[in-house]
Amino acid sequence: MQILVAEDDADTSAFIAKGLSELGHLVLCVARGDDALHIATTEHCDVIVLDRMLPAMDGLTVLRRLRAAKIDTPVLLLTALGQIQDRVEGLEAGADDYLVKPFAFSELAARIAALGRRLPLSDVATEIEFGPLRMDLLKREVRRAGTLIALQPREFRLLEVLMRGGDRVVTRTMLLEQVWGFHFDPRTNIVETHMSRLRAKLNEGDAEDLIETLRRVGYRMRGI
Amino acid sequence: MTGLTRSAAYRIAFAYSAAFAAAMALLGLVLFFAMHIAFSRQLDALMIDETSELQAEFRTEGPGELAEEIRQREAFHDHDRLFYAVFDPRGRHILGALQAERPRPGFQALTFHDPLIGTVAGRALVTDIGGGVRLVVATDGARVKAIDRTIISAFLVAIGAVIAIGIAGAFMLGGYLRRRLGQISGAAGAIVAGDLRSRVPVSARGDEFDRVALSLNAMLDRIDGLIGNLRQVSSDVAHDLRTPLARLRNQLESGLDSLGDADAAREVIETSIQRVDEVLELFASILRIAEVETGRIRDSFTAVDLSAMASELAESYAPAARDAGRTLDWSIAPDLHVRGDRGLLAQAIVNLLDNALTHTPEGAKIGLTLARAGDSVRLAVTDNGPGVPEADRDRITQRFIRLEHSRTTPGHGLGLNLVAAVARLHQARLSFGDNDPGLVVTLDFPGTMS
Repeated sequence: MQILVAEDDADTSAFIAKGLSELGHLVLCVARGDDALHIATTEHCDVIVLDRMLPAMDGLTVLRRLRAAKIDTPVLLLTALGQIQDRVEGLEAGADDYLVKPFAFSELAARIAALGRRLPLSDVATEIEFGPLRMDLLKREVRRAGTLIALQPREFRLLEVLMRGGDRVVTRTMLLEQVWGFHFDPRTNIVETHMSRLRAKLNEGDAEDLIETLRRVGYRMRGI
Repeated sequence: MTGLTRSAAYRIAFAYSAAFAAAMALLGLVLFFAMHIAFSRQLDALMIDETSELQAEFRTEGPGELAEEIRQREAFHDHDRLFYAVFDPRGRHILGALQAERPRPGFQALTFHDPLIGTVAGRALVTDIGGGVRLVVATDGARVKAIDRTIISAFLVAIGAVIAIGIAGAFMLGGYLRRRLGQISGAAGAIVAGDLRSRVPVSARGDEFDRVALSLNAMLDRIDGLIGNLRQVSSDVAHDLRTPLARLRNQLESGLDSLGDADAAREVIETSIQRVDEVLELFASILRIAEVETGRIRDSFTAVDLSAMASELAESYAPAARDAGRTLDWSIAPDLHVRGDRGLLAQAIVNLLDNALTHTPEGAKIGLTLARAGDSVRLAVTDNGPGVPEADRDRITQRFIRLEHSRTTPGHGLGLNLVAAVARLHQARLSFGDNDPGLVVTLDFPGTMS
């Protein structure tokens, strides 16, 4: 993917660029808001990583102008530590995702992958398939190789998020946000608990494990 | 006296008195003219009556009787008397004490001579009463002037009294205002000088000043609390960061020794990242609490279905509790709503559940209940663990407070502090009680919609 990184801190910018290049992405780095707007409007980008605080033009303004110009490239907004109100503002301005600095690189990479893959079609699809799994979003049913698997609503939602991710990594914080709506990390490991239950149900009868755990990063569906 | 001109209290009091005196003067002026006109009209009416009486006398009885009547009247009247004169058709003065040239008929100002009191400036009614005979009935202008003088002097006395009372009142009122305001600025001055505990005195009357004093004192208490909080946070942050940072440093230092061993080095780096994450999490919590405490989030409050939220959380937490060897039971009344911030309310409930799971032994029973209690909505998290001694219950919501026996459990001591901040933001009452055995934490949300 071609990724535009607008970040004024040279160290952070280099850290992101290096990591994303290693993953095989083409990275363009800018340090000023007006430059970011210029490149975003003139070049094709698959994802834009936009810092909220940029010299010359702040990130939110860049974002609003982009959206006003009907450019709907997915934008991941970066912001400094924790203001609840900031997140709301960012999403209202048209950001697709939001990440608080400092972050683990794996978290950023997973979110960029998810944004890059976001297709309008997948939102209206009524069925998702992955390997032997078929999920019917209307009937709220999951079948593995034709056998119905009874899931609790929370487990269903968890699997849905994983399956929408395809073979991409979904991080723990992404699951907390998308399944529980939590923008904080509870001390109790509810993700792990529900994931192990989901796994047990999916893999009943010693079937092969369809969910892969990536230590300290997250989970992803395993192609068989 | 320079103090007086620069005092708003005195200026207001004096302006009020001056306005009152001016109103009195205006009233006096109006009354003066009204009385002056009324008295003049009365005298005119008297002259009209007299003229018509004498005219009737002249017509029925003739000139002789008229002369007799006039003589009698001149002899009888004294200080408020009328003056008379009769002129014949040729303009000669034939009767009466009034000496003047023959005037033209009608009401007019007339200066004439009277043998008793000399020259008189007065007012006359001149009438032709038949046969060319002209009758003059006149009054002394001094009578009206005397009445005017009486009225004016009465009013001057009254206005003088009003001004005197006004000035005295202005001094009293101004002094009173200055004293009450002085108490407020005195308290402010003391605070500026460094005595942060100084407060505005409040009297028992409960008047406007007392209400201002009460709200100022409440504001000062709040500021005092915030400053105390800030002081506490800075010293606690310094203290609580020192430990993980020192550990991090040691770890990195020992990592230098194991550079040859890739696995050992990797482990050092991984634990170091974990330590840094702990510090960052601590910072995030501190900033979040600080943001909640500003109350700015209140602007974006919405109606939150607390029943649905509590049910979802209970369903998510029950398996986690089971995995941790505890049980979670819940009883949640449907359709209870509060106004608030969804994310913060969820985090407060999660923090309470987290606490119940961490601070109880295995096998503990944890409960989550949501019910209407009178006017309020009551959310309670109960456990049958060791509970919290009554003496410690006030302390546990403070920042970084971790009771002795919980030093070994994970956490940074900010969980309940955030719950308390969220409760304050939602005007909910947070209280801790005895569950016999164990702890019961209740959150009472006021004034709810159903």
